Amino acid sequence: MKGMNTLLEILNPGFVLRNSVLVTLLVGIVCPWIGVFLVLRRLVFLGVALPQISSAGIAFAFSLPLLGVMGHAHDGHFEGDERLLALLGGLGFTLVSLLFLAIMERRGKGLVEGRVGTFYALAGASSFLLLAKNPMGERGLLDLLRGEIIAVSDIDVRVTVAVFAFVGVTLKFFWKEFLFVSFDRDMALSLKKNVMLWDCLLFLLIGLTISVSVLSVGPMVTFGFLLIPPLIGHQFGRNMRQFALIASGVGGISALAGFCVAYRLDLPVGPTDVALMGCLYALSTLIKRVVVR
Amino acid sequence: MGIHETPITPSKVPPIPPLATADRVSVGYDGRPILAEASFVLERGAFAGLLGSNGSGKSTLIKSLVGILPLCAGRFAFRTPDGHALVFGYVPQRESLDPVFPLSSLEVALMGVCGRLRPGRMLGRSQKTWARECLSQSGAGDLESKPFSQLSGGQKQRVLIARALVARPDLLVLDEPTAGVDPAATVAIVELLTRLHREQGLTILMVNHDLGVVRKTVQQVLWIHNGVLSQGPVEEMLSQARLEAILELRLQ
Repeated sequence: MKGMNTLLEILNPGFVLRNSVLVTLLVGIVCPWIGVFLVLRRLVFLGVALPQISSAGIAFAFSLPLLGVMGHAHDGHFEGDERLLALLGGLGFTLVSLLFLAIMERRGKGLVEGRVGTFYALAGASSFLLLAKNPMGERGLLDLLRGEIIAVSDIDVRVTVAVFAFVGVTLKFFWKEFLFVSFDRDMALSLKKNVMLWDCLLFLLIGLTISVSVLSVGPMVTFGFLLIPPLIGHQFGRNMRQFALIASGVGGISALAGFCVAYRLDLPVGPTDVALMGCLYALSTLIKRVVVR
Repeated sequence: MGIHETPITPSKVPPIPPLATADRVSVGYDGRPILAEASFVLERGAFAGLLGSNGSGKSTLIKSLVGILPLCAGRFAFRTPDGHALVFGYVPQRESLDPVFPLSSLEVALMGVCGRLRPGRMLGRSQKTWARECLSQSGAGDLESKPFSQLSGGQKQRVLIARALVARPDLLVLDEPTAGVDPAATVAIVELLTRLHREQGLTILMVNHDLGVVRKTVQQVLWIHNGVLSQGPVEEMLSQARLEAILELRLQ
């Protein structure tokens, strides 16, 4: 009963943290949807590294006031044009990294995991180095890394809704093309499909989703939502439709439930969401084993 | 048509232009040819088998033929009766498809529609009906809702053949369809291909290692041996004398 009361309270339009609830819910629904392709293309490790790389891009944007390029971040958070710059920083770093990794993979030299791991480590280190002399920016970044989803402004919500609407509509319209080139690249080429174009569009959507999510909820929560719900969905989905629906459903429900638990117990929202999804994954694996037996 | 080695010197002009012609093509990876200066002709309605030892370039040749790999040199020419761009029904080796995708057999078969459907167009009832029809033709009608990754080798092959048929191909190209498949399933696949060729007049090119299967099913043989591609009727290409020469052994 208490849980239901909490849920009704946070869903009330007058709730003081309504922006945080809305953004968490959107990230919880959209990230797993795009994460389906990371799991299917066996790019799980990339799903961990890209949010970290995106946060390095945001750290770069945070560090710009120090370089005199733009105004100061307000209390460690961006507003207006600064937010746009932070988004561009995250997106730019993500897309450039994706392009570099794709070129290296095409050349076929060295270990893919090694390159992604190096990017992950470098991105983490550079985030802190960029902000070492900028206390205001460092505070904002630490909030992001901790997954504090409290200070979500109206503009955060608008940007998140706009970007996710674009991602969602594009995914819905070109679902069969993305699926086809991911599952059987060779047959797609034999039917004269522009595989490179579809790959680029898919990775643009992945980059956009990650950049916006990292800016709103931080890298840890982003890769939690990108990977764990699709892994749960993969255990029960008998076709692609079920797989994607279960992944997004689990993500959305976890986002709301995590917010309720965090609000009631006064815990940080992001880590609570990820811990809850971890428990759901363990539970679903257990259920799957029992059902298979 | 007798056995010939590249370059082709046809003795007479065929009454109907061939569906596909390879003119001194070199195929390989990163510009390094595995097979060089290969020529062959596929007549419309032909059933041809492509033979050769491991690493001879069979799969590379058909991947270049269907447009997956760029040619190192030479050219392919295609000619369809009404002048439309030739449509391939490519059936890859089933191991190349990742079982992590939770696709139903119907979803796999429906991918064949993607070649004819504009990007962004939703799959309609007619496409689904056609995909189900092709699954039935391939003897996989009862598998449509089953997860593709959980099917046996023979069942997967039937679904992949159905997917190729969904594309309404002018030329069906199969890469080792009976490899790793049990004898009963091999017979079923061979019967299916023979029926498709006989009843629908489908032109088929099949890579296969199994001489027994090739002898029973195809009319023409393309054989890559020592880097040279030869083509001829099955009776001549698989005659005892020729097999002895190619396989360098004395057949009992």
